[in-house]
Amino acid sequence: MGQKFESTNDYVASDNLMASVNIAVALQKPLLIKGEPGTGKTMLAEAVAGSLGKKLLIWNIKSTTKAQDGLYVYDTIQRLYDGQFGEEGVDDIAKYIKLGKLGDSFDSEEQVILLIDEIDKADLEFPNDLLWELDQMEFYIHETKRIVKAKKRPIVIITSNAEKELPDAFLRRCIFHYIEFPDKELMEEIVRSHYPDVEDILLKNAMETFYNIRSIRDIRKKPSTSELLDWIKALEIGGMSPDKIKTELPFMGILVKKDEDLDTVKMSINS
Amino acid sequence: MLFIETNNLKIMGEKMFSDFFYTLKTKGLNVSLAEWITLQEALSKGLCNSSLTEFYYVSRMILVKSETDYDKFDMAFLEQFKGIESEDNPTKQMLDWLDKPEMNELLHEDETRWLNKLEEMKVDKDDVEENYKKRMKEQDSEHNGGSQWIGTMGKTSYGNTGGNIGGIRVGGKTGYQSAFQVIGAKKFKDFRDDRTLDNRQFQMAFRKLRQYSTRLDIPKTELDINQTIDQTCNNGGYLKIVMDKPRKNAVKLLLLMDSGGTMIPYSTLLNELFQAVSKSNHFKDVKSYYFHNCIYSKLYKTPECENGDWVDTQWLFQNYGSDYKVIIVGDAAMAPEELYSKTGNYRGPNGGYTGMEWLQMVKRNYKKVVWMNPKMAPGEAPWREAETDIKQIFSMYKLSVKGLNDAMIKLMQNR
Repeated sequence: MGQKFESTNDYVASDNLMASVNIAVALQKPLLIKGEPGTGKTMLAEAVAGSLGKKLLIWNIKSTTKAQDGLYVYDTIQRLYDGQFGEEGVDDIAKYIKLGKLGDSFDSEEQVILLIDEIDKADLEFPNDLLWELDQMEFYIHETKRIVKAKKRPIVIITSNAEKELPDAFLRRCIFHYIEFPDKELMEEIVRSHYPDVEDILLKNAMETFYNIRSIRDIRKKPSTSELLDWIKALEIGGMSPDKIKTELPFMGILVKKDEDLDTVKMSINS
Repeated sequence: MLFIETNNLKIMGEKMFSDFFYTLKTKGLNVSLAEWITLQEALSKGLCNSSLTEFYYVSRMILVKSETDYDKFDMAFLEQFKGIESEDNPTKQMLDWLDKPEMNELLHEDETRWLNKLEEMKVDKDDVEENYKKRMKEQDSEHNGGSQWIGTMGKTSYGNTGGNIGGIRVGGKTGYQSAFQVIGAKKFKDFRDDRTLDNRQFQMAFRKLRQYSTRLDIPKTELDINQTIDQTCNNGGYLKIVMDKPRKNAVKLLLLMDSGGTMIPYSTLLNELFQAVSKSNHFKDVKSYYFHNCIYSKLYKTPECENGDWVDTQWLFQNYGSDYKVIIVGDAAMAPEELYSKTGNYRGPNGGYTGMEWLQMVKRNYKKVVWMNPKMAPGEAPWREAETDIKQIFSMYKLSVKGLNDAMIKLMQNR
């Protein structure tokens, strides 16, 4: 096997997450990543691309995204305009076929990383519509009777927030990894990779408060890694004295976004 | 290599491996043969470094597709492999048979056995066979290529943590926690999720409730852009306008749910159903109301069924036309007087009619009504008087995926 994915300076991955990436690559199967919001699912693809030195293509999925959008779009309107004004090459349909992200990743001369981000945002049937394409790494353009086949099989990484459940047929074809919320050790490593100069005492107090808040049972939206990072930055810039962090909870709005959660946190920390 | 190659060992390995498959199945994990074959591929490519712990992670990431199932997987893994003291050797024995050409026959036999068993388990056989053939083809070519398991053992190319040479761990610790440590920690217990029905299946059933207005007899009022462009292009660039009927789902849904005491055990199920309806945003309109045991002159706006927080059932009939499709959800468990007495409603007014008469009014006012019952008796159940009598009025289905699918088909049938 060729290169292997390893943690980068900006992205700290747990060992079995790295193993999942490498196994998905070895078995040529899409890697499905699930986990709480803010556990760095999307960043993983960037890190993989950086670590392997490959280009990253991102296909952001929205509720209106259709599977076809990722393959190709036939720009009929442009062709109509060109036809009216007698532009050259109107008879060449291929000129009006625009490949989507999946199409681009197949058509690329070099192996690329394709991130299908937040696949659960789309319609329920969306993943099923991509089964053939992801399995066989090819699709057919009806208008030009051309088959687009992957020159170098892209490494496909798919993220899901579990808003919708994904179809079984789709899941069977994926390698699955659930990103657990980082434990304190890993979290410390993550924070330090972002802010190498952070004060020990500030980090210690901030982390303790952070995990305390996460452990409150009634809280609706638990703060995530990215929120912790923002908070620590705010604490540094604000020049708060570290011993006040636990009691005064400065800049709490960064960690806790909902009003009712804010009250819950204050009550439980004071008691 | 250190391990001894005897038939006994090979067969033990093979048996342990295939037993694992059934252990997973009995723990309620729905492992497909396609995934199982992927795991074999991973093993034959040496992706586990012949360590049990890495085998644990690799098999989990291939076979388990939801964190809610991690706990089940852990249980199965523990049951299957707990006897193994050493981390390395037994898995090597277990995996070894896989990659020997002469073992292909055994593999064949084994697969046939699986296929037979799988058929009993109602797995899609075609899918399985097709994948199996494909996989066998790939495996043959790999063998011809000479990449023997033993040959590659000395320098397994995979493994970010390193330290495994020839199956013997040379110093250092692997980056993994031991499989049993992980299982011991029982981290994923909270994720466990034994709901028999999932929301997705419900949503898929509601998808059946579609009636596009293009199929109805209405005027063509919308510009069909795609057709217009296509036709214009075909027309050599001279504009040719195409009109179409507006394409919208015309289905309107009225959901009436029993919120009586006997329904409490099914509250999660009802919640799932309700979620599925509200997530299915393809309906033209959805209205939900609640009742207590049987429908009388008032329908409640909330599941708490509080006095006063209601609408007149008659008002409902007048305001929501007969084209609404009605789904009544209830266990149809009530005393005879609740159905047949004009004062049978012990929670509110009867409005001068018996429960049975009210149900018949619902039937008269709406063309399409189905009754979903979470605890419907299979077949005839004369001892459940109310259920039997209500079945005379409405088509009744069990509140399960199959029942819901059947009910949706019933709702969409042309009269």
